[in-house]
Amino acid sequence: MANNGDSNTEPPEQELVITRVFDAPRELVFKAWTEPEHFVRWWGPKGYTTPFCTIDLRPGGIMHHCMRSPEGREVWTKGVFRAIVVPERIVLTDSFADAEGNVVSPTHYGMSPDWPLETLLTVTFDEQAGKTKVTLRHAGIPSGTERDGTQQGWLETVDRLAEYLAEA
Amino acid sequence: MPTDTLDSTFAALADPTRRAILARLASGGEASVKELAEPFEMTLPAVSKHLKVLERAGLISRGREAQSRPCRLEASPLREVSDWVEQYRRFWEQSFDRLDDYLHELRRGENEDGEQW
Repeated sequence: MANNGDSNTEPPEQELVITRVFDAPRELVFKAWTEPEHFVRWWGPKGYTTPFCTIDLRPGGIMHHCMRSPEGREVWTKGVFRAIVVPERIVLTDSFADAEGNVVSPTHYGMSPDWPLETLLTVTFDEQAGKTKVTLRHAGIPSGTERDGTQQGWLETVDRLAEYLAEA
Repeated sequence: MPTDTLDSTFAALADPTRRAILARLASGGEASVKELAEPFEMTLPAVSKHLKVLERAGLISRGREAQSRPCRLEASPLREVSDWVEQYRRFWEQSFDRLDDYLHELRRGENEDGEQW
């Protein structure tokens, strides 16, 4: 991928796919994702809390929540629902945000400049003999070509990431 | 990317001296062990030890010149660490572990006292 002479250029699009089978009925797993009182109980790495969460479960509705690290660092996230099929599937955008629900650049939270501004989450819930298979697709919405000078950005990012993993 | 590569990258990055060495190489190209040792109150063997950890993690490479063996930054492991997909993978795996625990908790509660979720 050696366009514009930069040997470090990445493919423009990336997607993460994770599946997990949960030993619970589909309606319950769907609720755990889409109702704040359930969502705050599991979302985020071990030791993190979710002190704020609103979910307006309808197309165009907004999901806005805050994750707090054990040290008190807060990360706000905002999403807009694109599609909802109860209890089978949800599709929503995912962006970093502030407490007022404004989208902010990922660099605001110390992420590298080539982190996508907006990602798209597709979560499907499939029944499997009384259990529920969850398939999560997390796709980047490409933010254009890579900028120069990202090496320093990576170093700052890995500093924070190393701290973050040490906490987890 | 294999998890063990990621783990060795994190282990190498866990030390502030090694991060400072990487930052120095990121800003100024190649450097000898002696040049890298200058900002630290450390012996050359101590710095060499840090360089070995960084080299094993693939974060730096060293020239073949027997005496100075200049060090240079290898950015690709850092790139993989800062890659959003890899970070989100860790995030989701850990969240799913918690979701699994939470669902079990809910269902236990339901069985014990017939409470509805």
